[in-house]
Amino acid sequence: MKIVCLIKFVPDVEEDSTNRILNPDDACALAYALMIKRRNPETIIEVVTMAPRTVMGHLEDLLRLNVDLATLISDKAFGGSDTWATTRILARYLQQTNYDVILTGTHSVDGDTAQVPSQLAEICDLPQMSNILAIEAGSFLAGKPEIEVDNDSSIQTFQVELPAILSVHKDSSYKLPYVAYQDLNRDVSSQVRVLTNLELGFLPEEVGLEGSKTQVNRTFVQKWSKEEKLIVQNDEDGIETVYGYLKKNGFLL
Amino acid sequence: MKKCLVLLENNQPNLPLELLEVAHRIFEKSSVFTVGLPLDSQIASSAEYFDVLVHAEGSQIPAYDTANIALIAAKLHEEYGFDCIIVPATNYGRMVAPRLAMRLDVGLVADVTGLEQVNGQLEMIRPAYSGKLFAGIVKKGMGPLMMTIRPGVFPAATNPFKTTQHRVFPFQRKSSGITFIGSREKPATKDIRDSEVLISGGGGVLEHFSRLQDLSEALRGQVSASRRIVDSGVASRKIQVGQSGKTVSPRLYIALGIYGSVQHMEGLKNVQHLISVNIDPLAPICSLADVVVVGDAVDFIDQLLKRIQR
Repeated sequence: MKIVCLIKFVPDVEEDSTNRILNPDDACALAYALMIKRRNPETIIEVVTMAPRTVMGHLEDLLRLNVDLATLISDKAFGGSDTWATTRILARYLQQTNYDVILTGTHSVDGDTAQVPSQLAEICDLPQMSNILAIEAGSFLAGKPEIEVDNDSSIQTFQVELPAILSVHKDSSYKLPYVAYQDLNRDVSSQVRVLTNLELGFLPEEVGLEGSKTQVNRTFVQKWSKEEKLIVQNDEDGIETVYGYLKKNGFLL
Repeated sequence: MKKCLVLLENNQPNLPLELLEVAHRIFEKSSVFTVGLPLDSQIASSAEYFDVLVHAEGSQIPAYDTANIALIAAKLHEEYGFDCIIVPATNYGRMVAPRLAMRLDVGLVADVTGLEQVNGQLEMIRPAYSGKLFAGIVKKGMGPLMMTIRPGVFPAATNPFKTTQHRVFPFQRKSSGITFIGSREKPATKDIRDSEVLISGGGGVLEHFSRLQDLSEALRGQVSASRRIVDSGVASRKIQVGQSGKTVSPRLYIALGIYGSVQHMEGLKNVQHLISVNIDPLAPICSLADVVVVGDAVDFIDQLLKRIQR
């Protein structure tokens, strides 16, 4: 079985730094693929990402986890692409690639539109499901995965025909393993392939900012403020003020 | 006259009116002809607000069959030529909208929280890149405006009743490749969106999150949490407030050790009374507060409980 894991490296939002990390939902998807490969070593895993070349080190770390192949789609011309253009770029590569299933995350912590997996499914004519909490391994290996999906108040179970795009949610709690000690410095450079627009062949006006269907007009910081504000310390007077405020507004009898 | 397609989801009673409100805000001065397309076939209460309500012919199309729903919507667009397509940002709405956008070759803006006219162009506002900012996004190229809207973000306005034409749409459903096996309810906890009082915790109470329960009982409210707490595994995502959680409008919101990221603030709509307890009076959430208590939030819970019980 050949699994394509579609992944993205994102800014570490929680740590508020410029470090990039593997998007948490995508990490769960890759962790699942690696678990399948441990059960069936003939499984082939290819990670695919569109990113600047600076993510190369991160990709090599994933290869040391027993991923077979990494494809980095990288070209200055692709910079600034919205989800519509990004989807078309990824689809052009995927349409010339063999796979049985595409595993990816549901949300990314930076853009958080959750659009690309569903958009890809539409142009590749594949079934797709988001917010996956569990994929039953036996049925997955048999080519008819049974999945559990978070639908707010309920959990729904489906069977999906392959090929399909399965978008995992991080609440699935599939965890990436650590790199084995003997692999820490393993040379994996031969397993990485970089694809540019030379190979994919888009016209300049089809991709990047120019090829996008949406455009960020401006960004701004929202001003939040209340005109009248009580500021108190966490002491007896302060507690009395809060108590009085709650009482006055009917929250305490 | 402007034409607008609105996708609907059954289990959200206020949603049709909220989405219609969005349509009227987009086309301020024009009259709007509205077509409703339910994501699942039974729809009752919302019918009388639309000009046309579409039902697919033959077998019911369930909400999870997003490919077929996108196909129907695309066929409707061929016929009506919509100026705008509004989709609820529910689990399945968020899967249908991207498919439809690709089918129509138009840009899609997710989770729109505001609308502004800038130089004759409609800006769709949404929280942006790593959540520190808001972005005003404009559409490029031909085709309808397309956006998803989260439930609870635009308050439902009253709409005049209309004589709704119920239209059965001839449609040959293609195989979806997805078979429904079953469904089970998640353990029932009361929805935080229904609570008048929310006692909400963030990173500052991470180690003592269970203490919030006592205060919520004293104030007859419920406990909610910031993403920081949920991501740490201390609380369920069901009680998360914010952009990746729920949008809430309680009468009272007590923010305990919550910093107040843009995503968190986005989850607070029309909160009447906000009390923020934080060691840092300059934390963003304090700017939104009616009362700021400078100090340790866990200690605050103890002191306030003592005062209430006195």
